[in-house]
Amino acid sequence: MTQRLWDQAQAGETLDPLSFPLSVYRLVVTAGANRDFNSIHHNSEYAKASGAPEMYANTLLLQGMWERALRNYMGLDGQLRRIAGFRMNSFNCVGETVVVKGEVVRKWREGDEGFVEIKMWSENGGRMTVGPGLATITLPLAEATAP
Amino acid sequence: MAGDDAWKADWAAVVAQIGEDFSDGAVHYGVDRVERGAIRRYLEPLEFDCPLHYDPEVAAAHGHAGVTAPYTATVTFAMGPVWAPGESVFTSAERDAQPARVSVKPRMPRGAPPTTGYFATDMEVEFVRPVLEGERVGRRGNRLIACQPKETRVGRGAFLTFEGEMVDERGEVVVRSRHTLFVYNPHQA
Repeated sequence: MTQRLWDQAQAGETLDPLSFPLSVYRLVVTAGANRDFNSIHHNSEYAKASGAPEMYANTLLLQGMWERALRNYMGLDGQLRRIAGFRMNSFNCVGETVVVKGEVVRKWREGDEGFVEIKMWSENGGRMTVGPGLATITLPLAEATAP
Repeated sequence: MAGDDAWKADWAAVVAQIGEDFSDGAVHYGVDRVERGAIRRYLEPLEFDCPLHYDPEVAAAHGHAGVTAPYTATVTFAMGPVWAPGESVFTSAERDAQPARVSVKPRMPRGAPPTTGYFATDMEVEFVRPVLEGERVGRRGNRLIACQPKETRVGRGAFLTFEGEMVDERGEVVVRSRHTLFVYNPHQA
């Protein structure tokens, strides 16, 4: 995993998109992993009775997708400080593929810390299904890593 | 309020409680400490290959006292058990039967109309620090911030926004969050 420095971050820079195909298997593994056992996320009949078209991805899975994309961008010394605007506009159902994308909006310094704000969103079938939100991260400063 | 919107009056008691904290003030800790195996399982459905979360040497080299959980996993480690000794929760063989006690469900304000469905719609989370293997985290506070009755394509209910925090064993905040749920009764098929 490449370490990105705050000095390298630029507004308009895009994150590498990540795709997450949603099978029943993946949603069942997810329920066991993040402990959200609400049946709407792993039981088609139950989900349909609740008004959804199918079982659908839970919140922590969708948030984890953003975190993975952000970690890929910021490297091991980056820190995730905040996620805002994480709005789930529509269901991300089994049989669909969620694609996470991001774009650097701005960066600033507060003392010895270098902050970067990144617009994040998830797409599904060409529609934005989560976001757009804003993630705030910190990255190491070049001056702090110089020998 | 008249006509088709009359049902919104059923939520007036909840609207009147905006600003109240519906928790008991105590910290409710997750059933287990943050375990490396549980962190590993959190990574699996995400295919999240970050050694901070599974390699203690890498975590130490990057300034952490141990393997860290992903930031977004903190809430998982603050959850209660599905079953506890002495309980019987799986009491029905009906296909879609729910356990007698559900481990994850909204804590509703007093006087809320009965609803059968819910899902999260919005999250805003501030991560103060990642939690480490071996730590214990719990939930504290559950303040109602907003209540907006609404009919959507899935049913009739209300958007409820709560805020709370997650703390470590010293009571220090590791996560602050606001989340919005849509609690509702589905439209009849």
